[in-house]
Amino acid sequence: MPNQSGSVYGLTILSPILDDPHAKVSHDLQIRMYLGGLKDERSPFAKVSSTHMARLAVLNDVVYVGMPACEEHLRSQYLVFESNFDGSLDEYLEKMAVEIPEDVDAVWGHCVGYPGTKSIGAFQAYMKKCQITTTFYFADVNDKTVNQTLRALQTQEAVGVFIENNQGKPAEELRQAFAAFLEALRAAPGPIPGSGLNSLGRLAAGMEGITRHE
Amino acid sequence: MTNINKKTYAMNVITPMKPWKTWLLRAIFFALGHIKSLQAYLINLSFIHFARWVIIRRDAFPYLGGSQEREQIKYDYLLFFSNFNGTWDQYIDAFSAVLANGLNKIWRWSEKYPGALPVTPFKQYIGRVQFETDHYYSAYPHATTNDVKGAHRVQAALDAFANESAGMGPDEFARAYVRFLVKVQIDLGTTGAAPVGT
Repeated sequence: MPNQSGSVYGLTILSPILDDPHAKVSHDLQIRMYLGGLKDERSPFAKVSSTHMARLAVLNDVVYVGMPACEEHLRSQYLVFESNFDGSLDEYLEKMAVEIPEDVDAVWGHCVGYPGTKSIGAFQAYMKKCQITTTFYFADVNDKTVNQTLRALQTQEAVGVFIENNQGKPAEELRQAFAAFLEALRAAPGPIPGSGLNSLGRLAAGMEGITRHE
Repeated sequence: MTNINKKTYAMNVITPMKPWKTWLLRAIFFALGHIKSLQAYLINLSFIHFARWVIIRRDAFPYLGGSQEREQIKYDYLLFFSNFNGTWDQYIDAFSAVLANGLNKIWRWSEKYPGALPVTPFKQYIGRVQFETDHYYSAYPHATTNDVKGAHRVQAALDAFANESAGMGPDEFARAYVRFLVKVQIDLGTTGAAPVGT
């Protein structure tokens, strides 16, 4: 299936943007202004936890590449939504409607025929109507969920810290320290999507005993 | 800049194609999708998290009725979206140096495509047909593709070592621990902000 690579789904949506000559601020600009106010660290997509990566872009028109090509223009502007996520399309769209309805409505509310998120079925049908089938999709890691990847990144950092802190310890002491480390790692809260993982402070908060020694 | 989120760059490109050429390109993508060895270069480059090409037929732009007018265009369009690590220049340079033949097979059907080599006109072309991202999200923005792959290897090695070392005596554990270190050392490290300037 061209939209999928392993367990990852590649969604491509083009939603026509409303064209209202009487609008005080054009709809494409209103979308851009709203999106411009979202910070990457607090992206609404962090709440749709199966999202690996996603983007929104306004496509104002197609590009004229010069002679001898013909110059032509689109009659609509389009909101482009590109997302890479785990699971099925229906589940993902339902999560968007349930977890981030205000943001979805604020953005897609400027698009033609948008039904809102109150009816999940109507929202799913609308998004599918705007979906373009991916022709070729590549995912470098296509057999791990977002949560598995975040956990693995957390583990990678924690293992490095553990090794550094326990160099040269006697065998029995090392064995006990490793057992405590495993317990702390398993009990640690899961990383927050989109927040970055590099802070040892975060590790320290949930993983007593494996903070880096100064 | 919204095209960039920490270590990942979002590229969007749209190019026009004569409709009869899109069938040839579809055949190439079909082969690329079904012959895994053809994807080796993409995998070996190892700085692309996700990428896709999408062909939109001239009569297949979404039409929702109401106040929307139907598109009346002559070209089909090829969209390209990529999520990669590094700068725009590094990405295009690497594509041009390593994947020139592969890229030419894909983009040669687009109008005015100059070829992936030499790199200067290729960059000018991509710069011309690129459009900007308005919001970009990554669940793991500090991690490169290699970080992700390395982290999964460390996780697998740790899980295996935890199972295998349960019940071992101290000396046996210490020897197994050294073997574990040798196995994971190449994949250790911390993720973090990209260097200034990237």
